[in-house]
Amino acid sequence: MTKRRNILKGAVATGALATFGVGYAGTVKKLVKGKWSGEVPRNKHLTGNSIPAEYTVDPQTGDIALNPDQAMSYTMCIGCTTMCGVRVRVDKKANKVLRVTGNPYSPMSTDPFIPYESSVAESFAAMAQAGKGNGLTNRSTACGRGNAVLQQVENPRRVLKPLKRVGPRGSGQWQTISFEQLVEEVVEGGDLFGEGRVAGLREIRDLETPAVEGAPEFGPRANRLMWMNCVDDGRDNLVLRWLKQSFGSNNFTRHGSYCGGAFRSGSGALFGDFKAMPHAKPDFSNAEFIIFAGTAPGNAGNPFKRIGNLVAKARSDGDLSYVVIDPILNNAQNGPSGERSRWIGIKPGTDGALAMAMMAWMFDNDRINHDYLAQPSQAAADAAGEASWTNATHLVIVDESHPRFGHFLRGSDLGLAVEGEAYSDADPHLVASSNGPIPAGNTPAPLFFDGEVDTTNGPVAVKTSLSLLREEAHRQSLEAYSDDCGIPTAKIVDLAREFTSHGRRAAVDSHGGMMGGSGFANAYALSMLNTLIGNLNWKGGAMIAGGGFSETKGPAYNLASFPGAVKAKGLPAGRNVPYEKTSEFKRKKAAGNPYPADGPWYPNAPGLATEWISSMVNHYPYGAEALIFRNTNPVYGIPGVAPLVEKLKDPKVVPLIISIDPFINESTGISDYIVPDSVMYETWGFTKPWGGVATKATCARWPVIEPRMEKNAQGERVGMETFLIATAKRMGLPGFGDKAIPDAQGVLHPLNRAEDWYLRGAVNVAMLGKTPVAPASDDDIELSNVARIADDLKAVLKPDEWRRAATIYAKGGRYENIERSYDGARATYAFNKPMMIWNEELGSFRRATTGTRVPGTPSWREAEFADGSKVSDHYSKEDWPIRVFSYKSPLQNSYSVGAEVLLRIVASNPVIVGSALARAHGIRTGDMVRLSTPGGTLESVAVVREGIAPDTVAIEHGFGHRGFGAHDITIDGETKPGDPRLAAGVLLNDLGLIDPTREKPGVWVNPISGTAVRQGLPAKIRRIA
Amino acid sequence: MDTTRRGFLGAIGKVTIGAAASVAGASQVAEAAQTDTPTAVPHWGMVVDLRKCIGCQACTVACIMENDVPQDAFRTHVSVYELVKDGQDPAMVMLPRLCNHCDDPPCLPVCPVEATFKIDSGEVLVDASKCVGCGYCVQACPYDARFINHETQVADKCTFCFHRTQAGLLPACVETCVGGARNFGDLNDPESEVSKMLAHNEVSVLRPEMHTNPNVYYIGLDDVLDGRVAGEAAYHSEMADSVSSHEEGL
Repeated sequence: MTKRRNILKGAVATGALATFGVGYAGTVKKLVKGKWSGEVPRNKHLTGNSIPAEYTVDPQTGDIALNPDQAMSYTMCIGCTTMCGVRVRVDKKANKVLRVTGNPYSPMSTDPFIPYESSVAESFAAMAQAGKGNGLTNRSTACGRGNAVLQQVENPRRVLKPLKRVGPRGSGQWQTISFEQLVEEVVEGGDLFGEGRVAGLREIRDLETPAVEGAPEFGPRANRLMWMNCVDDGRDNLVLRWLKQSFGSNNFTRHGSYCGGAFRSGSGALFGDFKAMPHAKPDFSNAEFIIFAGTAPGNAGNPFKRIGNLVAKARSDGDLSYVVIDPILNNAQNGPSGERSRWIGIKPGTDGALAMAMMAWMFDNDRINHDYLAQPSQAAADAAGEASWTNATHLVIVDESHPRFGHFLRGSDLGLAVEGEAYSDADPHLVASSNGPIPAGNTPAPLFFDGEVDTTNGPVAVKTSLSLLREEAHRQSLEAYSDDCGIPTAKIVDLAREFTSHGRRAAVDSHGGMMGGSGFANAYALSMLNTLIGNLNWKGGAMIAGGGFSETKGPAYNLASFPGAVKAKGLPAGRNVPYEKTSEFKRKKAAGNPYPADGPWYPNAPGLATEWISSMVNHYPYGAEALIFRNTNPVYGIPGVAPLVEKLKDPKVVPLIISIDPFINESTGISDYIVPDSVMYETWGFTKPWGGVATKATCARWPVIEPRMEKNAQGERVGMETFLIATAKRMGLPGFGDKAIPDAQGVLHPLNRAEDWYLRGAVNVAMLGKTPVAPASDDDIELSNVARIADDLKAVLKPDEWRRAATIYAKGGRYENIERSYDGARATYAFNKPMMIWNEELGSFRRATTGTRVPGTPSWREAEFADGSKVSDHYSKEDWPIRVFSYKSPLQNSYSVGAEVLLRIVASNPVIVGSALARAHGIRTGDMVRLSTPGGTLESVAVVREGIAPDTVAIEHGFGHRGFGAHDITIDGETKPGDPRLAAGVLLNDLGLIDPTREKPGVWVNPISGTAVRQGLPAKIRRIA
Repeated sequence: MDTTRRGFLGAIGKVTIGAAASVAGASQVAEAAQTDTPTAVPHWGMVVDLRKCIGCQACTVACIMENDVPQDAFRTHVSVYELVKDGQDPAMVMLPRLCNHCDDPPCLPVCPVEATFKIDSGEVLVDASKCVGCGYCVQACPYDARFINHETQVADKCTFCFHRTQAGLLPACVETCVGGARNFGDLNDPESEVSKMLAHNEVSVLRPEMHTNPNVYYIGLDDVLDGRVAGEAAYHSEMADSVSSHEEGL
């Protein structure tokens, strides 16, 4: 299973050679007839099967001569969530993508990226040797995976026609059906599988009947259609229109809760928004010192290439030194860079202990930024020349018996006159002064206060946010923190000292590595380090993304709403809302004690795919009648979910499961219908960077090749858009059909084809701002092969619009020029809301399953299950002495295995064992080992390494598939046998845990963020062969 | 349009659409390179800055796609090592490997049919119409940069993307190098990026004891790795035996 093929092909070639060599001498004598004539060989004899060059650039003039057989188009890669702007090289005759590299207009692929005004011809020359710097200056790239994933377009296991299951769910047996039959069956329902009647979408779309009898808070029955998405690939706005504004369901979620959600939630706590979860990234090019913890620059992360490139340059040519805090040494560290790039191993899931220890040292040694933290308001920050501000000085009610415990003390608590409602935004936050609490004004305020203040209801104990954080940091000694995270105290002190020795030109960066049992608080703690040195919005510090150009809310068309739109209502099924809003709470409260609830609730979290499967199988708070998976794979991605998936296979649990996907992955595999979908270079969409790009950037994707899916009766390629439009029209839903999209004058335009939506979006992108983009020239259109869609542009758009939209596609999006990154010493695009030293929502809520509270500041706590018991009380260190964690691969992700070229480079994922642990267990590289957790067991080949934290075992993510063709797929009676290469390796998520304290089964998640746990699973290991 | 911004590209002239781009033109340039026009002939070289390599293997995959490299072979590849030295923390080293286009190529004299030759611009190439697939050159190469292509049955290797450089383009691996580690250009031109890099950095080469005078230079190459491969490849550790027995595996 995990035995790998030899990567060292030189060895193979030499082996073959030896055999050949034996009988060779005689042949050579015949062939060698004097000196070779010396004639210049024909070119193909020199370059073999290499692809002819895409164009020729004259080194003197920069003139470009195109190869007429090839097209060069700027579009988007979806090889990972970064979604880089790329240049795709197409064999026009074969409708085949030959190769991919970067788009030099795009900051995701290029640094420095070229001015947006550059013509397409200039962009071609920039990437050739004739350009300044011999083509190296504006070099624009695709990564290893980005170079490889074009193979997915021609993957022989692509779904090209609608499929309907034959036999039980998950049996791998399918039949092809027509698109029209698909639409009819899923909309109208009926006895679709000979297993009894199934409600169709038309029946489920009931906006009157409650989803749950007697519990109106859960909204109408329409909420029982649930939509699981992966990542927003730039098509979600159309999905959300269909689901929320047309169908009326409020149940939509993405993959974050089993990806990097713990980090995003922790950052959301600091930035004061648990739903949008803003985050900042270091200014990689200008920072002097960066701590990467739970993210690995150059090894993984988002934006992958951009971070990899900027960090590589900064450690070589710039001023950057950095430390990677990670249980495993990976490509983020770079030996040739010496001291500029260091690695410190840490026990998985304990980053909070490190961060809190650093904070304690910073408080004790006066290494926090007083002048920054003392500003209690935007006005004060402005007056002091600060680029952002915090609530460090704001007073928090800490009297546990007070009804407003954990909330900020406000003017109305003191009886001050408030213009507006008590505790509204108009009600001032208060800070300490020698004369008692006063409203936060435009001058600095005391950082620390601990005492009683008089309120209208008598004296009450208050502290400043920063006092609370300092107390929390001092909860443990440095030595205890050191024991918990496995980093020596001296190293912790060195880190804290170095971090606070660069003014604001230092930063902490984190992301997906936070997915441990304490991940939320760990991420909040790491992010807080940035705030204590006041680096936000400063060049060289931490900066938020510049954002993008919205395609939905633009000056030309309104794609965000339409006449007759429905407002989706009701609490979502994922329980990411206050338990206190439910009928269950009221019922239990009336009976005496509202706690514990029947299951966990996560008011401080976004939509949670992790909890959805539990909600569906337990019907708590309510189940789904229909479920749609769209290019997503929670079955593969959620640690420990396997026992729940078994229940999901029972059609009685969720009667109808539809997948929209180009492939049959582990989740698609348990569906009833599969709607084929386009792959990357065949699809439409708009995205903007998640972070790490200081300027506004919108990447546009368009079909640069003819999609391969079959056509429906109307002659349209079958895919997500055709499915949404056809089902909406069949149900008569608002927002689709001939009069659907309002323009600026209120005139309604049709939404009958994908082009009706995306091309109008492109006009919005083009027209936004003071200066719209210039119209595309004939050369731009020809060189970028936007000529391919020119007829659609002209047919759909107004005469004065289409050339501007063409520019968006000719240049692969719209990008602000690089000069807009900074405004002097500051980021052009600043985050203007306060940083939460104390997060009121966090500090004032009660966990539904325990009725207990959590600190409103960052903290370090051992991981707990839902009932508040410690995980170590259930699974002791004696029985489970090892900690298992996963790490991202630079090559493989959860859906890239079908790009076979990646398997040529790394064919599988062994289990990585540290040398000391290996010695203790008699394990040597190449041995088979059995690795067990309370949630599962796997067997694999071990590789022994030095660069891994003691008593830990690591598994690279992206292998161990059962879907994508790893197993047999039978369609219309014809079986495509499983390919063992696709099944290679193991999946850490098979070792994930079910929370043993949950009465209604659910996976182990972080109690605040509801995010999956895969870092630091309790385990044991044994050599078996 | 802000004309001051145009400077970054230098003079940009006309665009020809529909003209044959590479095949005929490339042959002519190759012919020119073979004749004696010394001032016009570049000497191609690569400078690999190991501090900038992130081991993403973009080069490896781009090369496969560009050159249709068959299964079981690489024209270029990035070896990834966990380097462990006494008294030091383990460290990662990513080492891009390819044909070194040596000025004294050991592969050349062993070719019984003179299919392997070196052109004036520096590339060591294989004429597939001459090659008999004997594999002597594969054995002779100290960098293990050659293989017998199972599809064509002839010796195969990196050409520095001859077909692309003739068209004024960069080799595929250089064009797509995410970290900016691979740098390519004319070593005869003191103003080229690679010449400047050589002038301003300490560089070394692989297998210096072989006196091959390679045209691939490395910045930041630990001498542990310039000859034998002493560390264990982190990705490919179970292949450790192959590494140590075979030294320079691509």
